[in-house]
Amino acid sequence: MKFLVQLAATVVVCLGLQLFLPWWSIAVGAAGVAFVVGNKGLKSFVAGFLAIALLWGVFALSIDLQTKAILTDKINQLLPLHALVLTMLVGGLVGGFAALTGALIKSS
Amino acid sequence: MKLTRISISLLVTIALIYVLNRGWNFGSPIPPLGKFLDPFGGFWQNAETKSRPDEILNLAGLREEVIIHYDSLLIPHVFAKNDDDLHLAQGYVTAANRLWQMEFQTHAAAGRISELIGDAALDFDRRQRRLGMVYAAENAVKAMEANPIAANMVNSYTQGINQYIQSLTYKDLPLEYKLLDYWPENWSPLKCGLLLKNMALTLNSGDKDLEMTNALKLFGKPILDLVWPDNENVGDPIVDNAGNWNFKPITLDSLPLALPDELVAVKPLEKSPPDVGSNNWAVSGTKTQTGSPILCNDPHLSLSLPSIWYVIHLQAPGVNVMGASLPGAPTVISGFNDSIAWGVTNAQRDLVDWYKIEFKDKSKREYKSDNTWKPARQVVEKFTIKGGNDFYDTITFTHHGPVLFDEAYHGDSEMKYFSMRWIAHDPSEEIITFYKLNRAKNHDQYMDALNHYASPAQNFAFASVRGDIAMRIQGRYPVRRKEEGKYILDGTLTRTEWQAFIPNEQNAMYKNPARGFVSSANQYPVDSTYPYYINATSYEAYRNRRINKLLNEMTEITPRDMMELQFDNYNLKAEESLPVFMRYLDTTAFTPAQANAYKILSAWDYENTADSQGASYYEAWWDALFPLIWDEIMNSKVELDNPTTYTTIRLIKEKPDLLFFDRVETPEKETAREVIQQAFAMGVETIEKWKTEKKKDPRWADYKDTFIGHLLRGLPAFSYHVQHGGNHDIVNASSRTHGPSWRMVVSLEKTGVRAWGVYPGGQSGNPGSPFYNNMLLTWANGNHYSFQFNTNPNQYKSGIATLTLKPKAL
Repeated sequence: MKFLVQLAATVVVCLGLQLFLPWWSIAVGAAGVAFVVGNKGLKSFVAGFLAIALLWGVFALSIDLQTKAILTDKINQLLPLHALVLTMLVGGLVGGFAALTGALIKSS
Repeated sequence: MKLTRISISLLVTIALIYVLNRGWNFGSPIPPLGKFLDPFGGFWQNAETKSRPDEILNLAGLREEVIIHYDSLLIPHVFAKNDDDLHLAQGYVTAANRLWQMEFQTHAAAGRISELIGDAALDFDRRQRRLGMVYAAENAVKAMEANPIAANMVNSYTQGINQYIQSLTYKDLPLEYKLLDYWPENWSPLKCGLLLKNMALTLNSGDKDLEMTNALKLFGKPILDLVWPDNENVGDPIVDNAGNWNFKPITLDSLPLALPDELVAVKPLEKSPPDVGSNNWAVSGTKTQTGSPILCNDPHLSLSLPSIWYVIHLQAPGVNVMGASLPGAPTVISGFNDSIAWGVTNAQRDLVDWYKIEFKDKSKREYKSDNTWKPARQVVEKFTIKGGNDFYDTITFTHHGPVLFDEAYHGDSEMKYFSMRWIAHDPSEEIITFYKLNRAKNHDQYMDALNHYASPAQNFAFASVRGDIAMRIQGRYPVRRKEEGKYILDGTLTRTEWQAFIPNEQNAMYKNPARGFVSSANQYPVDSTYPYYINATSYEAYRNRRINKLLNEMTEITPRDMMELQFDNYNLKAEESLPVFMRYLDTTAFTPAQANAYKILSAWDYENTADSQGASYYEAWWDALFPLIWDEIMNSKVELDNPTTYTTIRLIKEKPDLLFFDRVETPEKETAREVIQQAFAMGVETIEKWKTEKKKDPRWADYKDTFIGHLLRGLPAFSYHVQHGGNHDIVNASSRTHGPSWRMVVSLEKTGVRAWGVYPGGQSGNPGSPFYNNMLLTWANGNHYSFQFNTNPNQYKSGIATLTLKPKAL
């Protein structure tokens, strides 16, 4: 239950932050939520990872669908992985490690 | 223990953010991935649909409201209440659609590409600075500032661009900035100057003085005159006014012709490919169905994306003009208004000379001029290099201009120094020409506008609603003695310097000629009675004859006929050469592939259409033949100029035993017959190989493979291959990488000017926009769009969006 709370809260908080702040504000959001919710380390990492991967993935996918993949197809030729996968991976990693850090601070 | 874990986790998070927030370079540049992939601000935000929101924006510097309607092609129709607002809005709207390209092109002109992509561009950048591009642009700015109209125009335009730049956040940044990880800098009038000088570099820097000097030494004057004649005497000149040049020409005191006698080992500049050229023509009402003149223009330039041209409609009191503009310069460059239309082609003329300089010593601080030592100007140029240390280059200027090559740049063992005299270095005010042309009502005002025009020299075709047509070959041309400027010149003597320029009214021009049309296609400009000596790198020999033949024959011309003429794929060069080539073949000794090729060629109608296979075999044959004939020239240790296609074919016909037909690398003695046979075998082999590789028939469009490459070295993701016929030397002058960069047809009817146009790209410079390449297929298929040109702003409301610009309260 706390896992889902952390996941949902991270999505909402980071969405809010990203509307005004640079991309790395997701780290602040993910860490903050992890600290407040207080899941264990690994669980917190996974929740943070999934939250940002989901947030970035869904938002990117909505742009992709709206614009009929006009740019995704081109950028894919420049990237080693599909742009959507890479976007989720990169966002997820930052979210995950930030959430881990938040959880570790809490547990100390 | 816990503290350690916290520290490690925190460090990993911070390190990740650091690594993902900056660009890297492992062989190829990698953008800052976190920033770039973030869907809230990264590249995803550059993906667009066809719809744009209506917007109201406040801009500083505007005096009154400006309305901009984007039509269904994303062409902006700009309605302003005064000139300054009009140019400010043009700057804003052009930047909003083409900012990256505008800045990139001016960075390229100024030799600053190393700042963006690293030291791979350093040699190019040094060349640009050594050519004096910045020096030329600074001179242009001085001239603009001295003229209140030009100054206002450029300053307003700059202000418009800068307000767009200042409004940008990372989210809105054009894609290329995100990819290469940099920000646009502020625009300035200097950048307008750089852009115009870049055009001069493309169009008016052609020269072969060093090459001709070498040819003279290696082959002697008779061969030189045979292989590189000043005038090939083919077709009609652009202006045929035989016997009616009623003016007293300027003459220089006569000097015995001093031909150089030496070899020059430096490697001259990379030349503009011969495919750079253009067509324009205007037919009078006596030849058209409506009784009104029709004017057409298609400039052939490098086919690139974002496109060289940006179509715009500008309206304010006193001006209502539409056509192709150059992103980075105010006004319309090739277009029409409600009274006239004009179009440009390049006027081939030698406007670059190389003076051999004698420096007093190695410091190059003083050089000899007549009997004195003059001080040279030395400028230290700084190059910022992405991912590397700054580089400094010292460039020496004499009063002629910059010394391009020296010990530090492309030098050789026995260093000779040449100072470059180039017309584009001189101050000039072309921008006034376009300001006036945009507003011109009639032939007199067109003539007045052109009086301000110096470089790059152009053939200006003209037509008016009143029914006049005209052509004027306008540029600032030095008066030359015969053969002067064809070879390197002695820089220690002032008497061979440019002493006078041909007065504007003595340039070649005419109005309403009896044949009922004017036309130009980069051919020899004047008839033999024109009283000034003229030469150039080369003159066009085929397109001009084809165009004039068809225009002569045509009557009751409609705009559709003119659109078809722009897309004419008839290969006159093949008509004149293929039957000769075929006669030399020994049909009894053919391989099956050669027999097949022979059959296809025999049945070919000389049309370079997309589906033609004959065109592929012919062009492959020609591409093999040319280097076999001119092996002495192409493999020479010193730089020589390739003879023209026309002269090559003429020599095959008239002098098949000429020494050049012998291949140096074979012991046998070849004549035209043998090299043509060998080239046939090679051409067929090339096609056979291509067929095996591609597993399809050699259709011309596939074999030629026209490629429209993105300005970033043809980055494949943002570039396109198109199916297109034509070739160089054909009216539809589309080669693999060059071709009609803009096609325009204007019918100057009294009931209202109608116009059609197209270019291979789209109005948006953003690869993530449907308007990046939406005109490409239309262009490739030889179709045009009908332009909305109307005086009532309400007509445009059905378009994509409306942008309202309001004065910003200070």
